[in-house]
Amino acid sequence: MDEKTNLIDLSEFNMSEEELFTKFDHDTIESEKITAPRYSYWRSVFRVFFKKKINIVILALLALVIVFAYIYPLATGYDSDVTPFKYLSDLESYNMTPSQAINKYGFSLEWIFGSGKSGESTFDAVWFGSSISLSLAFICAAINMTIGVVIGAIWGFSKKVDMFMMEVYNIIGNIPYLLLISVMVLIMSASFWTMVFALTITGWLGIAYFIRTQVVIIRDREYNLASKCLGTSTFKIALKNILPFMTSIIVTLLATEIPSYISYEVFLSYVGMGLNENSLGKMIEVSQNSIFLQGREIQFWAPVAVASLITIVLYVVGQNLGDASDPRTHM
Amino acid sequence: MKKYLFSRVVRGIISIIVIVFIIMLLVYSLSDRDLIFFGDPVYNKALNNKKTVYKYEQWEKYGYLEYMTYADYLNELRDSGQLDKATFDAAVSIGATAEKDSDATKVYVKKFEDYCKANGFTVKRLDRVMVKSTYGNKLSMAEGGEQKLFAYKERSVFVRLGEFLKNLIKVDTINFAEGDVGERGLTFTWYDPAYGGEKFSPAIMGNGTQHKYLVYFDNKFPFIHQNIVKIQLGKSYSVRQGIDVFDSMTESQGSHLKTEVTYPTGLVEVSADDLHNATYVAGSKPTDPKNPNYTRFNDDYTNTPTLKGGKSKMGYSFVIGILAVIGAYCIGVPLGIVMARKKDKLLDKLGTIYIIFIMAVPSLAYIFMFKAVGAEMGLPTTFDVDSKSALMYILPIVSLALPSIANLMKWIRRYMIDQMNSDYVKFARSGGLSEGEIFGKHIMKNAIIPIVHGIPGSVLGAMTGALITERVYTVPGAGGLLVEALNKYDNSVIVGVAMFYAVLSVVSVILGDVFMSMVDPRISFSTKER
Repeated sequence: MDEKTNLIDLSEFNMSEEELFTKFDHDTIESEKITAPRYSYWRSVFRVFFKKKINIVILALLALVIVFAYIYPLATGYDSDVTPFKYLSDLESYNMTPSQAINKYGFSLEWIFGSGKSGESTFDAVWFGSSISLSLAFICAAINMTIGVVIGAIWGFSKKVDMFMMEVYNIIGNIPYLLLISVMVLIMSASFWTMVFALTITGWLGIAYFIRTQVVIIRDREYNLASKCLGTSTFKIALKNILPFMTSIIVTLLATEIPSYISYEVFLSYVGMGLNENSLGKMIEVSQNSIFLQGREIQFWAPVAVASLITIVLYVVGQNLGDASDPRTHM
Repeated sequence: MKKYLFSRVVRGIISIIVIVFIIMLLVYSLSDRDLIFFGDPVYNKALNNKKTVYKYEQWEKYGYLEYMTYADYLNELRDSGQLDKATFDAAVSIGATAEKDSDATKVYVKKFEDYCKANGFTVKRLDRVMVKSTYGNKLSMAEGGEQKLFAYKERSVFVRLGEFLKNLIKVDTINFAEGDVGERGLTFTWYDPAYGGEKFSPAIMGNGTQHKYLVYFDNKFPFIHQNIVKIQLGKSYSVRQGIDVFDSMTESQGSHLKTEVTYPTGLVEVSADDLHNATYVAGSKPTDPKNPNYTRFNDDYTNTPTLKGGKSKMGYSFVIGILAVIGAYCIGVPLGIVMARKKDKLLDKLGTIYIIFIMAVPSLAYIFMFKAVGAEMGLPTTFDVDSKSALMYILPIVSLALPSIANLMKWIRRYMIDQMNSDYVKFARSGGLSEGEIFGKHIMKNAIIPIVHGIPGSVLGAMTGALITERVYTVPGAGGLLVEALNKYDNSVIVGVAMFYAVLSVVSVILGDVFMSMVDPRISFSTKER
C-alpha cells in the first residue's frame, strides 16, 4: 500500500503525456521471434576455459613442449640416426653429469642434463625422442578416435549392428591388449608404422564401445523422440541433437587417450617390445641400468621426467577442455 | 537366471576358443618363422644342408609342422615287422644324388614318396654339397653338406586348436602305466606312508596311475592336494624346456626344502624329495643294489620332483596382488567418499592432484619413484625367494596398490557426485535426514554398485601378475612369463598364457555381473537379455 503512494509523480517532469510516452503497436512478426542472448558454442568453450588462470599456464607449457619436441631438434640439427654425437673422439665427454658438462662446455641449455654414453647431449636426445613419442600418440589417437567415434555412433544407433558388435567386443575385448600388441610387433618389425598399426588394430574398439554406450543413453531421450516424431532424419538427429552432447565426452576421452599411448610406448619399450627409433621409451629402456651407476642416474630420469611432463600437460589440458566443452558449465 | 548364466558361460567358452584361435593364427601362421632362429647359436653355426634340416627339426619342435626323415620311415617299417634288418641296412643309406641311389634304396625311396603323397607330406631331397678343397682341385663334401631326404607337412591351425583343446584337461586313470605293474587300482589310507604311516593324514594312492598319490594332505596352502585332473596349457621349448606352462606357473621355486620323509621301502631320510608327486617311469624299479635308490623305492614310481621353499610364480603374484587389491579397496573407497563429501575443498583438490599424477604419468616412472623413496626409507628393493623377511613384500604391494587407489578414488568420487544431484537425495534432505545418513544409507549404496562389478576382475587379475612391478623389484612372479615367451619365440607358452588370461577375464566379467545383481536387486538377468 505504501509503495503506491511513493510512486513518482509525473507532474514533476513538467512534460505532457505525449512527450513522456510513445505508443507502440503490437507487432505480429516481432512477437514470433524468440529473443535469447547470443550464444556461440565454441566461444563459450574458450571463455570458460580461459577463465581458469591455471589453464593459461598449462597451455603455455604445452606450447613449450611442442616447440621443444618439434622445432628445437630442427634448430640444433640433432638426429639420433645421423650424427648425434658432438665430440665422438673425446672420451671424457662420455657419460658426463650436468655439472661436469657445464664446466666443460660452459652453461647452455644443451648440457643441463649432461651427456649420454656416446657423448651426445641428453637434453637434445630427450626432445628428439619426445617428437617421435608425441607423433606416435597423436597419430594413434587420431586414427582410434575417428574410427571409434564413427563406428560407435553406428553401433549405438542400429540394433542389428549392436547385436553383431557386442559379440565381436566380447571376443576381441578379452584378448589382453599387451599380448595383441606384442604379437603384432613380433610378427612385423618394430618400426614406427608397425607400432601405429598394433596400437590401432583393436584400440578403437574400446572407444567405440564407450561411445556406443553414450549414444544408447541419449538416443531414446524425450527430445530426440520429439525430433523423430516431427520427421527429422536420423542423420540430422545424430549430427544436430547427439553430436553436441558428445563433444565434451569425446574431448575428455581424448585427454586420457593421448597420454596413454605415450605410456604404452614407454611400457612396451621397457619390456623390450618397443620401437627401433630412439623414442622416449627406447631411451628409458636403454638407460634403465644407469640408475645403479653413480653419476649416470640423470640418463634415466631425464627421459622419465620429460615423458611425465608431456603426459601430465596433455592430460590436464584435455580434462579442462573437456570440462569447458560441456555446455552445462557455460551458464 | 540359471538359463541366462548358462548362456553367458557357453558364450564365454566360445569366446575363449576364438581367442586361442586368433592367437594361434597370429603366432603360427602370420609371423615370420625364421625369426625363432634369431640368436640361436646352433643355427648360426650350422651350414648347408645341416642348417636346412635343423630348421625343419626346430619347426617341428615349436609346432609349426610335422617332420619325418626317410630313416624314421624305415625305422617304423622295421619296427612293425614289414622290413627285415638286412634290407633295412641296404636301403637306409641314400646316394649323394637321386641317380646315385642303390637299387634297394631306390625301391624304398619310391615307397617313401608314395607314402608321403598319400598322407599329404611334401618330400624334400637335398643333394650332397661339394666344394673344391683348398689343396688342389679335388672335390670334397662341404661342412654340413651331407645329403638329406625328409618330408614335412604343415599343421593347420584347426588341427592345432583341436589338439590344444583335447589336451587341455588330463585325467589320471589306473590304465595309464604301460606294462606289468601288478594289480591296478586305488587304495585309501588314513595314515599316509610318506609321513611314516603313523601320523593321521588321509590319502588316496593309485597303482597303474601316472601319479602315485591322487589325493593327499600336507602343511602347504590349500592343505588338500590332488593329482587326478591336470590342466595342460602346452609344453614350453625355450622358456623351460619340456615343462608345461601351467606347471611353470604353479611349481614352487627357490632353494630345496628338506624334510624328514619315509620312502616306500621304509627308509627314513632328510631329503627334499617330494614323494607325494612321484610319477610313474616304466621299468625304473631299482634292482641293482648299488643304485642309491635301491634302498628307497620298491616300485616304478621313482620320478620325484623336489620340494622347494619358495612359492610358485603364480603364488608370489597372487600374494602380492591380493594384498594390493585389499589395501586399495580399504584405502581408495573411503578416500573417494571423503573427496566427494568435501567437494572443492582442500582434501578434494589434493586427491585430484594425486589422481592426475597417477593417470597421466607412465606407470614405469612412478614405480621407479616409489622404489627410490622406499630405498631412502631403508626398505629392501629387491626380492629374495629364500628370505623369510616380510619387508620385501612392502614395496611391490605399495607400488601395485597406489595406482589402484587412485583409480578407485576417481570412480567413487565420480559416482557419488553424480548421485548427490539426484532427486532422491534432495528428497531425503528435505525430509530432514542428516548428511551422514544421506551419504551412508543412500548415496553409498548406489555409488558402490559399479565398483562391485570390478572386484572379481581385480582379484583374479592378481594371478596374472604385474609386469613392471615384478620386473623392477625382481619378483619371480607370473607377470614376466608372457614377455619372456615373446622374447624367446616360445609359441606354445604364448598360446597357453593367452588362454589363461582369456579364461580369467571371461570369468571375472561373468562373476562381476553376478555380484552386481546380488548387490543391486534392480538388476535382473532376464531384462538384460534385450
